[in-house]
Amino acid sequence: MTRALGRVVKHALLVAATAASLAPVYVMVSAALKTQPTFLAHPWGLPLHPTLNGFRSALADQFPRWFANSVILTSASVVATLTLAALAGWGFTRWDFRGRDTLLGVLVSLMVVPPVVLLVPLFVFGVKLGWISTFRLVILIYVGLMLPFSIYMLANFFRTIPRSLIEAAVCDGASSWSVFRRIVLPLSAAPLVTLAIVNLLWVWNELLIALVFLQDDSKKTLMVGITGFQSRYSLNVPVIMSGLTLATLPVVTLYVFGQRYFVRGLVSGAVKGE
Amino acid sequence: MNVSGAVAADRPHQRRRVRLGRLEPLVWIAPAACVVLFVFGYSMVELVRTALVYQGRWAGLANFRLTLSDSEFRTAVEHNARLLIAVPLLVASALVLAILLFEALRGWRFHRAAIFLPYVLPIPVIGVIFGQLLELNGLLNSALRSLGLGFLAVDWLGQPRWALWTMTGVIIWKELGFGVVLLLARLLSLPMETFEAARIDGARFFRLHRYVTVPQLGGVIAFYVVVEAITMVSWVFNYVYVMTNGQGGPGDATVVSELYIYQTAFQYQAPEVAASAAALLFGATLLLIILFFRVQRRTGVGIDD
Amino acid sequence: MSRKRLAAALAVALACGAAALAGSGTGRGQAAARAAFPTGPVHLTMWWWGEQEAAGAKGWLADTVRLYEQKHPNVTIKTVLQTTDGLIPSFKAAAAAKKGPDLQYFWGGIWSVGDAWAGNTKPVSDYIPRSELRHYLNIREDTWNGKVWTAPWYVQPSFPVLYRKDVLAKAGIAPPRTWSQLLSACDKLNAKGIIPMAGGIKDGWFGGWLFSLIGAQNLRSLSDLLAAVSGEKKFTDPEFVAWWQRLHQMRDHKCWNNDINSLQLYQGQQKWAAGKAAMTITAGSDVKKFVGQVGVAKVGLMPMPKWANGPYAGKLGSTSQTVGITAWTKYPQVDADFIMFMHSPKRMKAWYKITGAFPADDRFDKSQITLPQQRLMFSLVTHGAPYLENFIPTELDSKANFGQSQLLLGGSANAEQAAATTERIAQRIRLTQRQTVANFKSWAASFH
Repeated sequence: MTRALGRVVKHALLVAATAASLAPVYVMVSAALKTQPTFLAHPWGLPLHPTLNGFRSALADQFPRWFANSVILTSASVVATLTLAALAGWGFTRWDFRGRDTLLGVLVSLMVVPPVVLLVPLFVFGVKLGWISTFRLVILIYVGLMLPFSIYMLANFFRTIPRSLIEAAVCDGASSWSVFRRIVLPLSAAPLVTLAIVNLLWVWNELLIALVFLQDDSKKTLMVGITGFQSRYSLNVPVIMSGLTLATLPVVTLYVFGQRYFVRGLVSGAVKGE
Repeated sequence: MNVSGAVAADRPHQRRRVRLGRLEPLVWIAPAACVVLFVFGYSMVELVRTALVYQGRWAGLANFRLTLSDSEFRTAVEHNARLLIAVPLLVASALVLAILLFEALRGWRFHRAAIFLPYVLPIPVIGVIFGQLLELNGLLNSALRSLGLGFLAVDWLGQPRWALWTMTGVIIWKELGFGVVLLLARLLSLPMETFEAARIDGARFFRLHRYVTVPQLGGVIAFYVVVEAITMVSWVFNYVYVMTNGQGGPGDATVVSELYIYQTAFQYQAPEVAASAAALLFGATLLLIILFFRVQRRTGVGIDD
Repeated sequence: MSRKRLAAALAVALACGAAALAGSGTGRGQAAARAAFPTGPVHLTMWWWGEQEAAGAKGWLADTVRLYEQKHPNVTIKTVLQTTDGLIPSFKAAAAAKKGPDLQYFWGGIWSVGDAWAGNTKPVSDYIPRSELRHYLNIREDTWNGKVWTAPWYVQPSFPVLYRKDVLAKAGIAPPRTWSQLLSACDKLNAKGIIPMAGGIKDGWFGGWLFSLIGAQNLRSLSDLLAAVSGEKKFTDPEFVAWWQRLHQMRDHKCWNNDINSLQLYQGQQKWAAGKAAMTITAGSDVKKFVGQVGVAKVGLMPMPKWANGPYAGKLGSTSQTVGITAWTKYPQVDADFIMFMHSPKRMKAWYKITGAFPADDRFDKSQITLPQQRLMFSLVTHGAPYLENFIPTELDSKANFGQSQLLLGGSANAEQAAATTERIAQRIRLTQRQTVANFKSWAASFH
């Protein structure tokens, strides 16, 4: 009897948590498919007569521009980060040199420096060089912010590669570069994918730096865009929600297909998703 | 150390490799190190420099005094401290949910995916959705009213008294999934015998988890606590910025230290004060970093799964 | 209007902060000289904004340039329409490099004199005869140190109260002209279940509007306000507490929609357009849109009901968007001549016809205006009052006016607390922005 009751309570708790997690997402997607009057009349109802007008309006706005900007920024900074992190990670693993552990320790502690702390000096730097509202400065900052965790995670993985594999290759006369390219990288596909996903999400969702450094209308990212979007379309909620849905799609797609990698990334270290 | 590999190589090749020997790791690390040095090193030095001058002239600690004497700064810090209340709530709820999922109730995979979803969503998106949901005549309150719970329908974000608590709730909503996944992963990695033995002893749900499960999770919980504490102190800008239209309102009801720095530097033209506030914030996170190291060293969690 | 200010507040601060930090900034205007109109080739560049609030401005400007170039074949003018967020940062960057446009667009008041203080502009009054300038509407707000720094182009009426005749009639109420009429109207409308006034203050802007519309009424002169900014007066003086008390009365009489704190500006106004509220406050440039939505016969327009007898009470706030001559231009007299050409009767006529916004000139032929609400608005702005928000630092506006209005309307502050906090914030600004405050002090002298 009590056991049965327990089961009911447990299930109820889980269902409640799931419902609470999904409700806002449901509101977003369903509202995107409604018209403003239907949304006001039945905010929680299913979109019985779905319309794509909200999406059309969102796309007719600067949405495609923002989307493209986010794609450019995200892909460029993630590729750069992975490249630099893989090289450095291998540098830290392959050779034992004085101060190595200290350096790694410093690197790890940088993971938790809040970006807002770096804002003022970097902005002054940007102004001096005339780099405000350029992608290069923002990419540089993003790469810098992602490197500590990325190097750290890859270095940890590289350490698990059997020493004997490397030694064998070296005996065959392989240069360090070819050892890295022919042995280390192919073995590291999984952690690289994990890292790519975690970093992609971080850059895609980043607001603060994009807000400060990309002021020009033509350079705005999706996250900055939708933040302003909510005031502009405050009278047309479906357009806002369509915009949000579009902004979320890549993230959710990534999540659905890369869930395994993603969870692994989270668990393997202090990933800050904000 | 890798000279042994040079046996098969010709002489010039060998010489080059030997010469690179000591410097080789530097070559690999240098590109990344340059970027990190610029973004963190240069910025930190500049930050401290900015905090110590006023309009180009040496000002000693005057800016710090100015910052600490600002009641808005103190309010912001106090708000960050109040947000820390979310941490025990997060741990408790994550623990309960992780255990429920671990017991593999029907549909647990679906539940896990659902509960984790908020953690992947961009905060600006979440902020805008909750902004809509939480209007006085918004979706949440209309639902409450239709359930006969109209007395609960407050102006969630508009009431100065409630706004920060509402913000706390939204942050919990988003961060919970991370804790659940983290704890669940740890649970799944534990040897099953522990639980079997306890079950055979007839331990009931609460006793089992109180005395068997929770102690096993100590390290992960400590790790989660530190990560979330850092979040509450220095990563909540996005929530506040988006949900209050960049104001930290109503009034200063939701101003946090990051927003204070942002506004002071970029809206109110007092970069020196912003820099000293940022230096103070960095000091606070430094403390948490030390804690983080302690936890890591003790448990090994957060290094590898 | 509000979007503009949002972007501007951010942008100006970013740029100023950066300029100050980078240690650049103080360009000195060269000695003004009136020279003969040059006969050699002249190339001018104009950076501007305004298409965003006065749709059609772009076409009008292109026509105006074409006609001017026909008149002066040796002159060519290139115009660059800036984005809302880009207007000020681009100009600050140009100012730091002392290279950029010859003609630049400025909003009124602090936005205009702020660049005068930074040495980025030459005073237009050195190049445009006073006999001409005195026709331009709202030159007062662009005046500092005895000179007019930028030239008004078109007017932004700030901000009329719109009322719905049908809704008021249903409650049997005449449009409230005085404060006591307003408060009793609120009571009566509430009794009938009608929202008296609709607004949204979540995004803050509305707080600045209310300060300007209510707070102007008992001021004897703008110099009083500027003196309070610079610390010669206090925001806790009775004359500056008074408007908070009026706002408090509005709260007590439930004059606003109960969800004013959880709505943004436009959402609040929408309640009025939907017929749920009797009154609202809008930007002058939006009047045409709202009248179109609701119907000409149903909409009335008036200044904020009167509660004091100062020179600005019962008047509509008025500010003009302006064009300035940059400090580094080679041909200030040609710049000035082009500005005067923009004010020629034909160009003004075309301006109104295309954009529906008012040229900032009292010689504009108002028989052209057909919409009765706009006719009234034009006569109100011709004798308008200064728009207070243009005379205080941005930080004070958003922390005190935006923030404290939210707290007061949210029920967690009273008038005295709001005033005390405002003074505390002002004190702080006097500490952290010493140079700006010194400039405010000298600006106050312009209004004695």
